[in-house]
Order: sequence, then C-alpha cells, then structure tokens
Amino acid sequence: MFPYLKRALSNLFRPAVTEKFPAGEPPKAAEGYRGRISYDPTLCVNCGMCMRVCAPQCMTRTIKPLEGGAQEITLTFDQSSCTFCRLCADFCARKAITLTDDYMIVGTQPEDFIVSGTFIKKAPPPKLTPEQLAELKAKAEAAKAAKAAAEAAKAAEEPADPACSADNG
Amino acid sequence: MIQKLIDKSMSKSPWIFHINAGSCNGCDIELVSVLTPRYDAERLGFRLTGTPRQADIVVVSGPITLQTRDRLVRTLAQVPEPFCVVSLGSCPRSGNVFKGSYAIDGPLEKYVHVDVSVGGCTPKPEAVVAALAKAAEILAEKRKEMRK
Repeated sequence: MFPYLKRALSNLFRPAVTEKFPAGEPPKAAEGYRGRISYDPTLCVNCGMCMRVCAPQCMTRTIKPLEGGAQEITLTFDQSSCTFCRLCADFCARKAITLTDDYMIVGTQPEDFIVSGTFIKKAPPPKLTPEQLAELKAKAEAAKAAKAAAEAAKAAEEPADPACSADNG
Repeated sequence: MIQKLIDKSMSKSPWIFHINAGSCNGCDIELVSVLTPRYDAERLGFRLTGTPRQADIVVVSGPITLQTRDRLVRTLAQVPEPFCVVSLGSCPRSGNVFKGSYAIDGPLEKYVHVDVSVGGCTPKPEAVVAALAKAAEILAEKRKEMRK
C-alpha cells in the first residue's frame, strides 16, 4: 500500500510525461536517425550506384544535353517513396548523399517530398583525327630524343668515376 | 447559431478512422503510440473511432493491395462529408518497396484526394501528430466552405 501512496504523492508534483509537441519545437531525433535525404550535387560524379541499390526506386535521373557536349544532370529523390534504408548513402563513393535527422516529412503537395540537385557534367576533350594523333606522337618522340641526346652529352662532359665503375664492373 | 456551435465543437474533436490497406503494421503501431500518454493526441481531440460513419479524418496506411482495394473504396464512401484523408508512411503514396507488384493497386491518390501525407518508413509519432493537426486545420476550412 505504502509504495503506491508514495508514488501517487510524488506524481502530484511531477510534470506531465506528455510531449508538448504541436505547441513547441519538435524534439530532436535519436543519434543515427535516418531521416530526410540531403544531396550535394557538387560532389556527385553520376555513377548511378544509388539508383542501382535503391529497392523502392525512389530516384529519377534526367540528363539534359547542353551545347558543346556538356550535360545537365538532375537527380531527384522522392521522399514519399523512400524506405530510409541508407543503402544509397552507404554506397555513395563521394559521400554526396547523407541522411539527416529531419523526420518532419509532412506535406500536402507532392513537391514537399522532393529532394533534388543539379550539376553540369563537362564535355570530354575533343577526339583527335589520326593525322593530329600522328603529329602529337612525332612531337613527343622528338622531345624524348632531344632529352636523351642532352643526357648523353652531359654524361660525356663529366669524366666517369673510376672507383664507381670498378665497383660496378 | 446552433449549427455554428456544433461546427466549433466538431472542429475541436476530429475523430480518426484508421484503414489498414495491406500495411506491414509499422505505421499502425506508430499511429496507436500517438494516442498513448507520451504523445497523447487525445488532448487535441483526436480519438479513434470504430466506424467510418463517425469519422472526420481517415488515416490510410499500406500500399493498396488487391484484397483491400474494394473494401477501402467501400469504407471511404461511407465517411460523411466533409472529411480529410491522411496517408501514413511511404506506402500509400507510392507503393514503397512493393512498387510494381502484381498484388498492389496503388497509389491511394487514384481512389481519393489525399489531403495530408506523412513520409517516413515508418514516420515518427511527432510527424504523425503534426500531420493530424494539419488535417484538423484543413477539415475546419472544408467545413467552413461547405456551410457557405
């Protein structure tokens, strides 16, 4: 009887256990909580690994060709389709995808659930014609030969060390 | 005047009806935990009801399976106007990992207009409370529109 009475009396002076949430700030999520995805397009290299491992296929990638062979790549994460398994973040080699602790994913429009990022992939260097390639090759070989000749001339100028050559011979 | 009084009272106590349309039970458990003393949605007037005829807010969880589809449509038809539909978790909006399955006929948007959606798999109870509070606001507005 007594412990119950003690508890009842102490509860009279204790604050309520109920979270006051809609009135105040939402409480912080636990450490390591997997919430809304954050995507940093500046780090992304467009390897597509995240799309490969995503079970609910929540990512869409649109590739828009720009002038000069460059591409505008947009990766869109649909948070209303995500399982928050963090496989995409684990497999992201550049750590462009991270899961934040923002769990307040509440919305009335489909746009409230979209996380997206855009980056521009530069055009690859122009392809060379066989003539240009041959010219470059000849240039490189000429430079190599000149270097070898200069080295030989230097070696001839300096007298060989007799002790060193004896050791080696 | 009496109508106004009734409307005001009703906006302070929106009753919830929960439909499980093939959910894995994760979201259902979170919805029940919203009504426990820690999150206590009942202080805001939310209360689970056993029949759709008394419901103001319909909470749907789960991707719409073929088995539950007809029952879902039938249940939604029984809810009196005005009412709000809240989709719980990722499943009703997109199908989540069950997307493309032969047993799924989603998303929920195909059958009824979804007013508020909660993302997450499963959503945290705080997010559910926030969504319900938003749904109650929308419901009050809808009722006002209807009385005009």
